[in-house]
Amino acid sequence: MYRLIILLGLLFANTAFSFNADESGHNLVAIIMFVLFVGITLLITYWASKKTHTAKSFYTAGGNINGLQNGLAISGDFMSAASFLGISGLVYLSGFDGLIYSIGFLIGWPIILLLIAEPLRNLGKYSFSDVVSFRLKQKPIRILAACGSLSTVILYLIAQMVGAGKLIEILFGLPYYSAVIIVGGLMISYVTFGGMLATTWVQIIKAVLLLFGATVIAFLVLYQFQFNFDNFFSQAINVHSEGNKIMAPGGLISDPLSAISLGLALMFGTAGLPHILMRFFTVPDAIEARKSVVYATGFIGYFYILTFIIGFGAIVLISNNPEYLDGSGKLIGNNNMAAIHLSHAVGGDILLGFISAVAFATILAVVSGLTLAGASAISHDLYANAFLKGKNNEKMEMRVSKMSTIFLGILAVLLGIIFEDQNVAFMVGLAFAIAATTNFPILILSIYWKNLTTRGAVIGGSAGLFTVILLVILGPVVWVDIFNNNEAVFPYKYPALFSMTVTFFGIWFFSKNDKTKTALSEKKLFESQYFRSQTGVGIDKPSGH
Amino acid sequence: MNSQKKSEIYNTLKKTRAQISIPLTVLTVTSYFSFIWVIAFKPNIFGIMLPGTNISIGILLGFLLILLIFIITLIYVYLANKKIEPIINKIKNV
Repeated sequence: MYRLIILLGLLFANTAFSFNADESGHNLVAIIMFVLFVGITLLITYWASKKTHTAKSFYTAGGNINGLQNGLAISGDFMSAASFLGISGLVYLSGFDGLIYSIGFLIGWPIILLLIAEPLRNLGKYSFSDVVSFRLKQKPIRILAACGSLSTVILYLIAQMVGAGKLIEILFGLPYYSAVIIVGGLMISYVTFGGMLATTWVQIIKAVLLLFGATVIAFLVLYQFQFNFDNFFSQAINVHSEGNKIMAPGGLISDPLSAISLGLALMFGTAGLPHILMRFFTVPDAIEARKSVVYATGFIGYFYILTFIIGFGAIVLISNNPEYLDGSGKLIGNNNMAAIHLSHAVGGDILLGFISAVAFATILAVVSGLTLAGASAISHDLYANAFLKGKNNEKMEMRVSKMSTIFLGILAVLLGIIFEDQNVAFMVGLAFAIAATTNFPILILSIYWKNLTTRGAVIGGSAGLFTVILLVILGPVVWVDIFNNNEAVFPYKYPALFSMTVTFFGIWFFSKNDKTKTALSEKKLFESQYFRSQTGVGIDKPSGH
Repeated sequence: MNSQKKSEIYNTLKKTRAQISIPLTVLTVTSYFSFIWVIAFKPNIFGIMLPGTNISIGILLGFLLILLIFIITLIYVYLANKKIEPIINKIKNV
């Protein structure tokens, strides 16, 4: 614990330094707000650390989180700074197209609720690989699931870290390096000391702050138009250089195949994100799991409506205001700063400070959730179940998970520094594509398809993972934009349609023709697994306080 | 005797679940892919403005789709608590 206090001291020293470096008014509000957030969350971490003694409490907060709390925490995980700033920036740039992403991110939720949430809760303990390996062979399945989880988590982490560094650089005047190190250090302390309990509460606080902040901005924007949407959109059309094209689908998707491929990645990617799936083990039973999805869907849907209003608000209120533009008429920073500038335009320095602090808090909360999911893949799947075959003791598993947390935190900081000047926007898209291609198919088929065997899952899943990574590297985003080749080898930006086909076909083919003894016994075990997944008979009770 | 009764109730459970989940899943997937289908093949339709306003059909339908997604989750939870949960409790008490 004393290390935590030292860290806190370092952080204060750091913020004080930045305060001296830049004494403008909005920074003061932002810094006070942020220091308050960090102080409160560290206190929560201290409280949580007293309750986090077992692996179960470390990974699942003892299973004592209720539906509303988990719903808020899920929306906290999902409403990253990337989606808040990124989607409002996309709406600012091209209007309607932002809505394609919002709806795509949201549509995964009914799928999770209808097909996955309850069986997941009924079959698993700490992570979705518990479910996949329920009747399949532990070692190969755990390794595959851990590869899927870790690649999703690390790509997501890089995107968040780079975004965080840049954002903090602009908002607080801190150098990029120290911003990334502060984020890494705080995240390591939340997760290592407070486990899932602290991470959940950090998410809840951040979700409430973000929903409140976005509501205030959207309200102040609409207030200027007397809540008349016709008037509001008309103004935006008048102001925007694309005119009324911003009200219709534009350049985001250039051909039908891409539309469907992106749609698949968004819809099924959500249902394969390890840090989201992990949240379902923090509630006591399937009833609360169900409830948490409804709350989460409501909050996230409301949030996306707000980001849409914020994006359009930015078109009307700041796109012609020289205060927010650089010499060439572009937004200062970049388009992702639309929401931040808008908060200043409608709410002055105080709202700007508040939103800046919330954006920082958001990044911290999201990277904590990601790191915890990554640490559980290393310690629970790889260490405890794949290599020690479940024969380890809990204390050792806890130590390994804390070590993995620190390792992932340091890795995230290093990658954040290495990728500073790279375009990392595609990484979140790739993370969704991998989740949709590897994690989602093996999870859904293990729950519902009797004939799934270890061989089928391993061959199909790894073939899909390999395909999706290869197609992204050969596609326009990496091959042309990053490697500077003239033409992409693989012409489509969104690979999910192709890679998901590879996975499903591979799994079907190699399971169906699997006549080995293990395959037969795995198929036989399906009935009892299905019974448990549907009824919850046999699941762990939440641990007492 | 008990196990036969149990398997009868279990069959009812599977049937009830399918009756609730399948239509809602189909509704979710078709509504979303219809939306994507229009964007892919007939993007101009979404650009048509509602008569007498500057609000496009695409934006109206997008907002309604967000609302629909939420309503689907509400319907499911309502039905699950009312119809599925009692059956599960029966199984646990047999």
